[in-house]
Amino acid sequence: MRVQRIRASTLLALLAASAVVPCAAAQRGGPPAAPVGRPPLAGEVGGPGLAIRAKKVLAVPDEGQQVHDNAVILVREGLIEAVGPARTTTIPADYEVLDASDRWVCPGFIDLHAHVGGTFDINEMVYLVNPGLRVSSSVVPSNPALERGVAAGVTTILFIPGSGVNVGGQGVLMKTALKRYEDAVVRDPGSMKLAQAGNPEGWTVGVGRSFMNWNTRWMFRRGLLYAKRWEDHERNGGPQPRHEFDLEIFRWLARKDTQISTHTQIFQVVLSTLTMVRKELGLDVYIDHGEMAGYKLAPLAQELGVNAILGPRVIEVPTRQFINWTGSNPEAILGIAAEYQKGGLKRIGFNTDSPVIPQEELFLQASTGARYGFDDSNVDTVRGLTIVPAITAGIADKVGSIEPGKEADLLILTGDPIDPRTSVEKVLIEGQRVYDTASMKRRY
Amino acid sequence: MIRLQSLTRLALAAAFAALPLRAQEGGQEGSTGGGEEAAQAPTDDSDARWFAIQGGDIYTGTGAVLRGATLLAKNGRIHAIGYDLDVPPEAKTLDARGYRLYPGLVAISSQGLLGNASGDFRDTIDPFHFRMVLGLATGITTTGVGSSVVKLKRFSVKDAVINERVFSTFAWSNNNPRGKSELRDKFAAAARYQREYREWQRKVKEQKDLPEPSKRGIDNNVLAVLNGDTTAKFSTNDRDELLGVARLAQEYGFRPVVEGCQEGWTIADELGRAGVRAVVTPRARRTKDERQVFDGGSSIENAAILHRAGVPVAITPATEGVDLGGLVGRDIMHLPLEPGFAVRGGLPERAALESITLQPARYLGVSHRVGSLEVGKDCDVIVTDGDVLHYKTFVQWAVVDGKVVYDKEKELFFAHIRPRPEAEAPRKIDAGETPPKPEAEDGEGEGEKKDDAGGDERRGDDEPK
Repeated sequence: MRVQRIRASTLLALLAASAVVPCAAAQRGGPPAAPVGRPPLAGEVGGPGLAIRAKKVLAVPDEGQQVHDNAVILVREGLIEAVGPARTTTIPADYEVLDASDRWVCPGFIDLHAHVGGTFDINEMVYLVNPGLRVSSSVVPSNPALERGVAAGVTTILFIPGSGVNVGGQGVLMKTALKRYEDAVVRDPGSMKLAQAGNPEGWTVGVGRSFMNWNTRWMFRRGLLYAKRWEDHERNGGPQPRHEFDLEIFRWLARKDTQISTHTQIFQVVLSTLTMVRKELGLDVYIDHGEMAGYKLAPLAQELGVNAILGPRVIEVPTRQFINWTGSNPEAILGIAAEYQKGGLKRIGFNTDSPVIPQEELFLQASTGARYGFDDSNVDTVRGLTIVPAITAGIADKVGSIEPGKEADLLILTGDPIDPRTSVEKVLIEGQRVYDTASMKRRY
Repeated sequence: MIRLQSLTRLALAAAFAALPLRAQEGGQEGSTGGGEEAAQAPTDDSDARWFAIQGGDIYTGTGAVLRGATLLAKNGRIHAIGYDLDVPPEAKTLDARGYRLYPGLVAISSQGLLGNASGDFRDTIDPFHFRMVLGLATGITTTGVGSSVVKLKRFSVKDAVINERVFSTFAWSNNNPRGKSELRDKFAAAARYQREYREWQRKVKEQKDLPEPSKRGIDNNVLAVLNGDTTAKFSTNDRDELLGVARLAQEYGFRPVVEGCQEGWTIADELGRAGVRAVVTPRARRTKDERQVFDGGSSIENAAILHRAGVPVAITPATEGVDLGGLVGRDIMHLPLEPGFAVRGGLPERAALESITLQPARYLGVSHRVGSLEVGKDCDVIVTDGDVLHYKTFVQWAVVDGKVVYDKEKELFFAHIRPRPEAEAPRKIDAGETPPKPEAEDGEGEGEKKDDAGGDERRGDDEPK
């Protein structure tokens, strides 16, 4: 009896809380985390300031100077305080100096398509649309796959459901190396995963694209109406709408507080991403994957402000398999990122779909993109691993570039960040030295 | 398009095959495979086939770099490398100013580059197949196929096989203790036979009727390994198994080639002392067996640690076939990327280049012909637009036996990616009408333009590593 009473009261409390906070279990990451189980070092929360001298800083802000030679970065309380040329940036007397003056520094990499954030039970296939499911319940912070990713510079991932059904659930944006979930989470929901075609076609007895489009549209319209009811209630008062927990995510989507990350590829499917999800429903969506002639829609994507996070495929090759399935029949071996770029799309990022491409090879997606024609004369390769995914996921106020006020997620490297020959020597996340080849076993 | 083209090529092949003459092979083709006599007959050069690659930076693959030098080939072999060479006026020339020359890459093993991916290559080799073109585009001019060694002689299969019966493969597995002891017994028996046979050879001169020792029960493959007629190949990643192979090798005095070798870094000294030769994939991953007290699992530093311990390192990608599914970076088409990961782990750049040129050539027993640019070796050269280990570098021309068999601008695969600035001018290979001007200071306008326009596209040594 006692147990039951407690449970009932807890439930009441939860309901009460959810009346105040729209989505009680969802969360936004707070200020930078302090290190766990040891006194703070320079640059960390609670520690003294840290000054990093670097040969080259790829700051990659959205606008402005991308590269600083012979530069200094000041870090305090887990945040970047300043970045600028060594000759004009004064290092305060009490700051510890990290001399990386023969090294390069760039922001930590962000992968918006990762499946290795925890256990692999992230592909529920009972219903075709599951907007209420969350992968946050599967997270294993700082797991071995993520640790390898960290050793190759991946500091933030969007851990998302699989693409077995049209809506697999909600992803979570998380830091890769912070050991406690509450420290690691950047935003939950990190996205709602939509898979428009391809894998969901194998669901139960098989479904076609017309039904999938209809069913998805139906769910989205229902969700957006629900969000509208709550918005009206919050703005104008009146009776409180009924809670529908599977639709709560749409309140985030309607407010543009999270995005739809779309497993979309093949010309017609990318077209429906752009026309249905973006134009018709007005949602914040980005192209995820985008292969198989999707690049032909680059001009429309640019016009509608839809970014593309490309991968795991890097090239399109005329092979029977794809010609028959998707109709994509390029006359040469085409670099996918290069084709989006040629089509005029400005914000292009890269993903791994880990474990399809191992988490630690995120950078190689950019280097091979460049190999197959992606122009990186404006460091667009590094931008596609940092600021572009940060903007795309709506977290550019926290991460994605080396700018004052952002979290100090930094890589100290022996050279060009996307050259396989370069090694990552140190990784800082929120000022914490989470990986350091000088004191730890080399992981990659 | 690819299919159409290869079909056209096949038709052409058939047409060529019908010709009674070897005219399309170009003059003295036969002499390339013909051993020493061709090289030692300098008296009559009237019908010699000359070919010169002029003005490029020559990375010989043995550590030397000759900037703006000329490589001259005669009858498909490297005749001279250097400056101010006397290039015969009838020589075909390739202007490589602003580009780099490297030895053609050697894949220790590959699938599908010779045509069909399955079946014995002898039955299926297709020198017009698009995968052979992709192999050449990768820079591969020689590949191991099973126990044979084949050159990617596009348009021709003549003398393509340059070595056979290179390897004998043996298993050494902790899961099969009986197999291990049986192999050990075979080596013991073969070694005993070898001793008895040598003794008999010595004694039989006096004792004519001494019976030859019986070969019954002796494993011919093992005996061939002990006689140095073949190379023992093992495939293992496990520390204990590697140690077992090393001890076997040390005891019986042979130098095995070991594929995998992922835990080699934990026992590099033992492998070095035993003369083990490694074939590694630097990115391959293996988790440590937690029951093991010693170090274990894969390490990105594996190749570097092995190299420091004196273990030769050849590098092979994770997938030895051509992957056309769109995922890149791990298949044979990205062979030159793989050593980059060994450099990441500390392998010197020179050893990294050797890991896909000279070392595999040595393992395959063909280092007297390929694997480096040296006088007397086959003229198998790749001309690149930058450091061959850089991720953006493309092979511009591939040369096999002194003939251009791949030109990036003339194939549909990659011509559109960073096209050569001067590609419109049909000038690259002339038939020798204009006298070649190696190291011309003034250039002829065209060359000057190319150098200027292409200046920032070239990747030099100052490129970040």
